[in-house]
Amino acid sequence: MAVSPDITDENNALPAKYFTDPGVHELEKEKIFGQYWVYAGHANAITEAGAYFTRTIGDKQVIIVRDHDDEIRAFFNVCAHRGSKMVEETPMTNPGNMGRIRCPYHMWSYDLDGDLESTPKSFKEAGLNPELDDDDVCGLDASENGLNEVQTDRIGPFVFLNFADDPMPLAEQAGTLKTELEDMPLEEYEHAARYVSEVDCNWKTFAGNYSECDHCHANHQDWITDIELDESNLEVNDYHWILHYTHDEDVDDELRIHQEKEAKFYYFWPNFTVNMYGTADGYGTYIIDPIDEGRFQLIADYYFSDAEMTDAEQEFVQTSRQLQEEDFELVERQYEGLQSGALAQAQLGPNEHTVHKLHRLAQEAYEA
Amino acid sequence: MPFVARATETGARVEASTANEVIASYRRQQELIDTDLEWVFAEHPAVTSVPASDSIDAVIRELDDYFENGVPLGVLAAAMSKQGWTVGDTLSEVYELRMSGSIWEPRADHIRPV
Repeated sequence: MAVSPDITDENNALPAKYFTDPGVHELEKEKIFGQYWVYAGHANAITEAGAYFTRTIGDKQVIIVRDHDDEIRAFFNVCAHRGSKMVEETPMTNPGNMGRIRCPYHMWSYDLDGDLESTPKSFKEAGLNPELDDDDVCGLDASENGLNEVQTDRIGPFVFLNFADDPMPLAEQAGTLKTELEDMPLEEYEHAARYVSEVDCNWKTFAGNYSECDHCHANHQDWITDIELDESNLEVNDYHWILHYTHDEDVDDELRIHQEKEAKFYYFWPNFTVNMYGTADGYGTYIIDPIDEGRFQLIADYYFSDAEMTDAEQEFVQTSRQLQEEDFELVERQYEGLQSGALAQAQLGPNEHTVHKLHRLAQEAYEA
Repeated sequence: MPFVARATETGARVEASTANEVIASYRRQQELIDTDLEWVFAEHPAVTSVPASDSIDAVIRELDDYFENGVPLGVLAAAMSKQGWTVGDTLSEVYELRMSGSIWEPRADHIRPV
């Protein structure tokens, strides 16, 4: 089958090789996850100075820490001395706390702002080097030998990272998403649950599935009974799209954070979603993290007014998990087909314009 | 899939074609969620044959007969699950053994007794 490399035509999907080629996975580390703002975690997880968690994006591991000025900063988890990894993997759900960042290899220590704080005596004296007097040992400048910092910015309590040298501002990438989310009291909610699932398909396959609902009637029959799809719409913006799903019956205002009487799912390029369910006083987020070209991790977080969930909230999370499992089945089947090589380029329908946007952004990133 | 484990906190299943894939999954999850993995089943003749024992040294020596280039950590973890050990329990004990010099790692994530 012929492949059209030009996917400006809304019917043309990104060619299948971009989902199955290991080389594309490597390319995406630099061109997508190394260029755009990527979600790191929730600010409420680290409220005290010195509280931290780690996050790995592509091949880069970062420490996200709250400093003594109450700012959230991020540093590569790499010692400025000889490149050793410094702290162990620490999940956002069980953050650590440290007065300073210390490398266990040669015990270099850094302030929470990344400046070099101290080195052992062996870096100030040359006792083992007969060619050098102690007086000739040049000192280490604290700021010039500090940790390599990664740019951070926030949308409300959501902390984002950017690895590019000169990235577009987060406000520009987020557009109206930033003001819309910051108008809601998201920081007042507590992290209640996290589910991590590893799924056998490319991350963009799941992202595409999340972004459309043509599959919902046939595959999410429990969920769709309360939704009026005819009155719903999928709104596309520069780097995000919003899935507005209208409920067929009015829902109690206390069961929503947002004003509109609908479920509102935000997809923020490249791999973050905010899920305002419309039937729960809380919200969820997804991170769609690639493992390799054929696998990804879905990191699903749920936030409610209290970290201890009520029975109703637990039941709600179970419904959400059911949707995930139904979608995992679908995307794994789709990916199995794509891997066979029988379809070189998928076709998109008129209500899959959100999927087309996802694919266009991927192509723009590859070509940048 | 011949190897299946389950997250102790969330019950999420991990299905893998090799035992060491379960180990890789455990490590990936460690950065994301404070959970361990427990085995559901492991379809491998070495796991089935080796006698259940609380002595991990003894189990490593038994398994060593089945593998020329080292016992995959996942197979060891599956064998230790007969005693109720989680993946985390086994990896923690393997670390202690490695640091004491009583095992070596001829290739990544494959161990042999010294």
